[in-house]
Amino acid sequence: MKTLPTLREKKRYIAFEINSEKMIIRQELVREIFNSTISLFGDTGASEINPALMSFEGKFGILRCTRDKTNKTRVCLACINNIRGIRVSIRVLGISGTIKGATERFIQQSLIKGSEPEKRTKKE
Amino acid sequence: MLKFDSKFYDFYTHPDSPGLLAAEAKRYGYSGIVVTNTKINEEIFTPDDFSIYRGVEIQARPSRIREEIKKYRNSNFISIVRGGEEEINRASVESEGLDILLQPAEFNNVLAKAASDNSVAIGFSLGLLIRLRGDARIRELKNMMMVIKHARRYKLKMILTSDSRTIYDLRSPREMVAISSLFGMTQSEAIAAMSAIPADILRRKSRNYIQEGIEIL
Repeated sequence: MKTLPTLREKKRYIAFEINSEKMIIRQELVREIFNSTISLFGDTGASEINPALMSFEGKFGILRCTRDKTNKTRVCLACINNIRGIRVSIRVLGISGTIKGATERFIQQSLIKGSEPEKRTKKE
Repeated sequence: MLKFDSKFYDFYTHPDSPGLLAAEAKRYGYSGIVVTNTKINEEIFTPDDFSIYRGVEIQARPSRIREEIKKYRNSNFISIVRGGEEEINRASVESEGLDILLQPAEFNNVLAKAASDNSVAIGFSLGLLIRLRGDARIRELKNMMMVIKHARRYKLKMILTSDSRTIYDLRSPREMVAISSLFGMTQSEAIAAMSAIPADILRRKSRNYIQEGIEIL
């Protein structure tokens, strides 16, 4: 059964970028995000934040969280420093209200930006 | 957000390869870092619109620390003491010329008063919060909450540092602001701790500066 729009949980989508030594598997990232959240805010805090990884492909990803807990989610992501012995750092690219917005505005933008300098060097 | 338009500095890094860290820091939105461990003559590749400053981490016994600080008083090195027991904190806070006392483990109103007299800034090492887990992190957080209480009361300068050795320890300014909210720092305080206050310390370290209010133009 559908919930009423006003009773639905309001959410935000956080686009992030992972900087790591080696490739990271999705499952391990999910586990580490949960570990970090629980270690920082406990079980009640984690249930309020309600993090869920929507999509992830090696470097970029989108995480869903509750609307008014974006700052706490940012802390949880920032406090991750290694995933199964692989050193990582996570940077938040931006926060959006829709998955489409997050991909178009932040992930595609940073893909274009990231590839520009390479093209220039090839031409030279 | 307009608040994040200012120039950000990271005041305590000790990288193995400074050039790499500098490039990464620039990408993260910093406009300067302080490197403490590399030798003075070493040439570092610096990206455009980015500056690397030299700092020195003073490590000595509490009885010797005053002399060590005096050595670097008139140089343009940014002097940092890693705090700990009360004796070290006290010796460093009471000697004029120190720039930053990083992460003091014990702090009280007497030390805070001395720090405000000698204009020593108090540094918070957020790298500890990122790296530690469990009871060690709880201890550091409790500590930082206590320090910030005194720092607010005596209007001390506060500084946020990443304490990074590799590029994976670095966090962007927005993340640093978010982490600092864990121990009760407000957003404006945190932004000042990474932009306005470091700029003020650099101004005091510049050659044209003589004394508060006197400057060669």
